Amino acid sequence: MTRIIKSYVLLAATFAILALGVSILGFGRDGAYIFHGWLIALAAGWALMWQLNKVTDPEPEIPLEYKDDVIKWGVLACFAWGVIGFTVGDILAWQLAIPSLNGDMSWSNFGRIRPIHTTAVIFGFGGNALIATSFYVVQRTSRARLASEILPWLVFGGYNLFVLLAVTGYPFGITQSKEYAEPEWYADLVLLFAWVAYLYLYMKTLARRAEPHIYVANWCYLGFIVVIAMLHVVNNLAVPVSIDVPKSYPLFAGVQDAMTQWWYGHNAVGFLLTAGFLGMMYYFLPKAAGRPIYSYRMSILGFWGITFLYLWAGSHHLHYTALPDWVQYLGMTMSIILLVPSWGSVFNGLLTLNGAWDKVRTDPAIRFMMVAMLFYGLATFEGSFLAIRPVNTLSHYTDWTVGHVHAGALGWVAFITFGAMYNMVPWVWKRDGVYSLRLEAWHFWLALGGTLIYVAAMWNSGITQSLMWQTYQPSGAFTYAFIDTVETMIPYYWMRAIGGFLYLLGALIGSYNIYMTVRGAHLPDEGADAKPLAVAAE
Amino acid sequence: MKPEFDEVSGQETTGHEWNGIKELNTPMPWAFRIWLWASIAVAALLWVLYPSFPSTSDYLKGTIGYSSREAVNLAVAEGEAKRAEAYTVFTETELDTLAEDPTLQAKFEDDIAVLYRDNCAVCHGRDLEGQTNFPNLVDDHWLWSGWPEEIEYTLQVGINSSHEDTRFAEMPAFGRNEMLPDEEISDIVEYVLSILGQEHDAEAALRGDELFLDNCSGCHAEGGVGGYETGAPSLADSQWIYGGSREEIAETLEVGRAGVMPAWSGRLSDSEIRQLTLYLIWQGREHGDS
Repeated sequence: MTRIIKSYVLLAATFAILALGVSILGFGRDGAYIFHGWLIALAAGWALMWQLNKVTDPEPEIPLEYKDDVIKWGVLACFAWGVIGFTVGDILAWQLAIPSLNGDMSWSNFGRIRPIHTTAVIFGFGGNALIATSFYVVQRTSRARLASEILPWLVFGGYNLFVLLAVTGYPFGITQSKEYAEPEWYADLVLLFAWVAYLYLYMKTLARRAEPHIYVANWCYLGFIVVIAMLHVVNNLAVPVSIDVPKSYPLFAGVQDAMTQWWYGHNAVGFLLTAGFLGMMYYFLPKAAGRPIYSYRMSILGFWGITFLYLWAGSHHLHYTALPDWVQYLGMTMSIILLVPSWGSVFNGLLTLNGAWDKVRTDPAIRFMMVAMLFYGLATFEGSFLAIRPVNTLSHYTDWTVGHVHAGALGWVAFITFGAMYNMVPWVWKRDGVYSLRLEAWHFWLALGGTLIYVAAMWNSGITQSLMWQTYQPSGAFTYAFIDTVETMIPYYWMRAIGGFLYLLGALIGSYNIYMTVRGAHLPDEGADAKPLAVAAE
Repeated sequence: MKPEFDEVSGQETTGHEWNGIKELNTPMPWAFRIWLWASIAVAALLWVLYPSFPSTSDYLKGTIGYSSREAVNLAVAEGEAKRAEAYTVFTETELDTLAEDPTLQAKFEDDIAVLYRDNCAVCHGRDLEGQTNFPNLVDDHWLWSGWPEEIEYTLQVGINSSHEDTRFAEMPAFGRNEMLPDEEISDIVEYVLSILGQEHDAEAALRGDELFLDNCSGCHAEGGVGGYETGAPSLADSQWIYGGSREEIAETLEVGRAGVMPAWSGRLSDSEIRQLTLYLIWQGREHGDS
């Protein structure tokens, strides 16, 4: 495609989003929805004007450098959403310990603000971390500048607009009530726009690479982008009621809808929170440790094993439900096999540190990544274990699930992100290392302490809960009423809230450290290294 | 690039390099090979034993004939049989006889307390003492009388519920529906306050007495002592469902009241309803008039 056709396609797509926003703000009937119309229209209008200005510009001269400006914004968005998400998460934890903390207001009750927490941490914090690091990694491992000057901004802007629409809608009850896929159809369209742009940009950049092979980190990132595109489209197939209201009805109903939802939910974990972050690990861990990847063969086993098996395993979220037995057993058996490639990745990461273990002691960033691998190992073992049906009778619907998710989210996803960020931020901003290693170590220990307290509390609470639910008198009557089990949870809920607070404190210290690093002194220009690329971007 | 030898691991690299990152060509550890094949073997065994792969119109049933639905039906039936055996006394004996049997309480109270907490405590409180808008169950003051069969009937059909035989009791909205002018309502409030000897305007209460006789005594009876036939509460005791202050009584007269007790027949078994009835009687005897 010539440059001019490409810009017309982009202009048309941006115009479609603008038209969506204008229709919503024009026809919308309630405040939050109209506000969303304005947000979409303003963002798309701005993007449209910006592109239109560029159409008439003369062909720009693109420097022989990596395109890093958008990565910086991604880092900042990642930390901003992270702090919001962790704060809301800890507020929720305190609400569970002290229910009256919801202030008895509809918008602040648990059901409405829990998705703010999950969306802000998974999509805001995790998603921006993935977008920023994937842009960084794909350029370095391909020795190529990102394949477009405009698309990276549309990906970043469109994606963050989606997250903003999501979290500002929930307090007003705008949700399609699908866990981790709560945003309604119009926000989903915005994400679709950003995601297609992301996929195109990523493949285009890989296609322009100056290296003969595609590095394993890029397999992981690309796997994540492709699968999320597929999941997002299928799980959000829905018919809007009208342009006047945000409500829509999903295409599938009943158990088919539940299965589609958990196929989505499980693979959002498998590809966004696992494959994507493994991509991060595969670049930043060997780079920081200065060691080669332990085994190319283990990389292959890990990547293809995870990619093939995860897509079968979603049904283990629906054990002992109306879902047909055969679907449950397939999900369970694939989950059992899935542990092998998962631990293949764990060992591949950990053993990469062979010859550099001393750095775990001296460099908190490597310590973050090393512990991340341990938590990844723990969470994947736990995941496969809980997917076994009889075990699931003990864990399902209890706090154990919550503990399991947070072992993965706090211990793996966020730890690998912090480890990567402490390396990448000085590299991108060209600073001489992180502002303070001491604060970095404080962040590490607070985060580790918080995670351990959180997870231990939830293991205890979940198993206690479940055993109480399943205890019968010899007469066949329940030994405990439901409210008795709720009362027993109180000390664990306090523990969880305290653990979460420590984690939040660590993240605040980390954000300050990143901020001070960004504000710190610029390294002198590297001379010849300032133009690392041989091939110009288009 | 050519493969290099790595001193630390004793392995060769693959010869690829990306921005300084290399990878070793370490062979797959034997433990992983064994583990992978063992996992696949376990999975394959489960596919044979249990329901697994689908075909175009059906699925592999598995050789041991397992079905979740059958398993859960069996477990439910087993629990029901156990309970039926343990609780025969409740279905085979007259309620009045049960209420007078002193041996039952010690034997069954703990079991029934769980039933109460799961189904009733959310409104009436774990201590059975109710809360604003929900009556106290152990104060010995009854709306529909404290006879065992009347308590049981309330549990079965509810009050203002969707059951076709529901008990029905409604306090009209005298103010909102303009059944009485505001000044007459405030006179009645003063009269109601005077029944229990609370602080009141004597002159207004005198006018209110007459108004009460004309408008209220049909249900609440003369002197406001209430009536078991109508379910109208006594205004002459210290127990209030919606509050007994001047403001609260005025609000009741203004907007009316029609509290709902759900019908439990169909949701709980006859035996369970009877158990809860007895539980209330036992608890009432223990707490007495509080």
